[in-house]
Amino acid sequence: MRDERMRNVLVTGGSKGLGLGIAIKLASQGFRVMVLARRDTEALAAARVSATPGEVHFRPFDLADTDAIAGIVKSLHTEFGPFYGLVNNAGLGTGGLLSAMPNHEIERLIRLNVTAPMTVTKYVVRSMMAGGAKDGGRIVNISSVVAATGYSGLSVYSATKSSLVGFTKALGRELGPLGITVNSVAPGFIATDMTHGLTEPQRIAIDRRSALKRMAEVSDIAAAVGYLFSEDGRNITATVMTVDAGGTA
Amino acid sequence: MTIKEAILAQMQLVAERQKKTLAPLTDDLKLLESGLDSLCLAILVAALDDTLDIDPFSAGTSKFPVTLGEFVQLYESHAG
Repeated sequence: MRDERMRNVLVTGGSKGLGLGIAIKLASQGFRVMVLARRDTEALAAARVSATPGEVHFRPFDLADTDAIAGIVKSLHTEFGPFYGLVNNAGLGTGGLLSAMPNHEIERLIRLNVTAPMTVTKYVVRSMMAGGAKDGGRIVNISSVVAATGYSGLSVYSATKSSLVGFTKALGRELGPLGITVNSVAPGFIATDMTHGLTEPQRIAIDRRSALKRMAEVSDIAAAVGYLFSEDGRNITATVMTVDAGGTA
Repeated sequence: MTIKEAILAQMQLVAERQKKTLAPLTDDLKLLESGLDSLCLAILVAALDDTLDIDPFSAGTSKFPVTLGEFVQLYESHAG
């Protein structure tokens, strides 16, 4: 029997790495978390069993199929009820010098990192509106420190992450009257599959540059998202929270 | 309930929730003079998508209707 009081949250790309950390954190805060990702993982399956006091659910979905986003969000709305929150976490981290990057890779990055989150947000916001948004809502877009600092070899990725910041600021104003907060969280380099390609000297350089002489971890970013989703975060909107152990200080 | 009745009921509900005062709902009423602002109209479209499963705006309609009568007609033309 579905608990009507449990608030529904969608986390994209939540089957591993940062997205999984966020899904587990939000479930620990009592949310019913729905994870959209291409593939299930053992870690996500374990989270579905152990989630408490909230729940974790999984639906396989390829966010690059932007025409199908309306359908999947609507079906979740029908099954579970209106959404309270959304974390746009899914993204590609394809790197490479712009001059050598195939055009279709540029298109792919923009589709998955920009078009998909904007389209998901559109339909989740509709679900929030249809539900009356009585308790407001929460949207968090996972950006990156490179949106503000840049990083050689990540020009297109950086541009997609900057676009989420502009999206956050404008949508925060648009949805403010409904009590829905919209924020970006900008992680520094953290140890996930996405940063797996960093060389050891690059890792050492990142650690050395940060104020705290270390990288932020998945749990730090998840905690920031958890805070924005909590009652304590209700008056924070249209801004960027940087979690990078002082890497951009 | 007809589509028109469903639309009028949703307009009343949105106005009530958003604390807006609705003008008398006649066919020639301009939507922007109905008492609902653009955010309320967006909520109305989302609510109608939920209750009627009709969304003319995602189906390719690019021009938002001017009057309530045109709005109702648009939904009637996209029904089943």
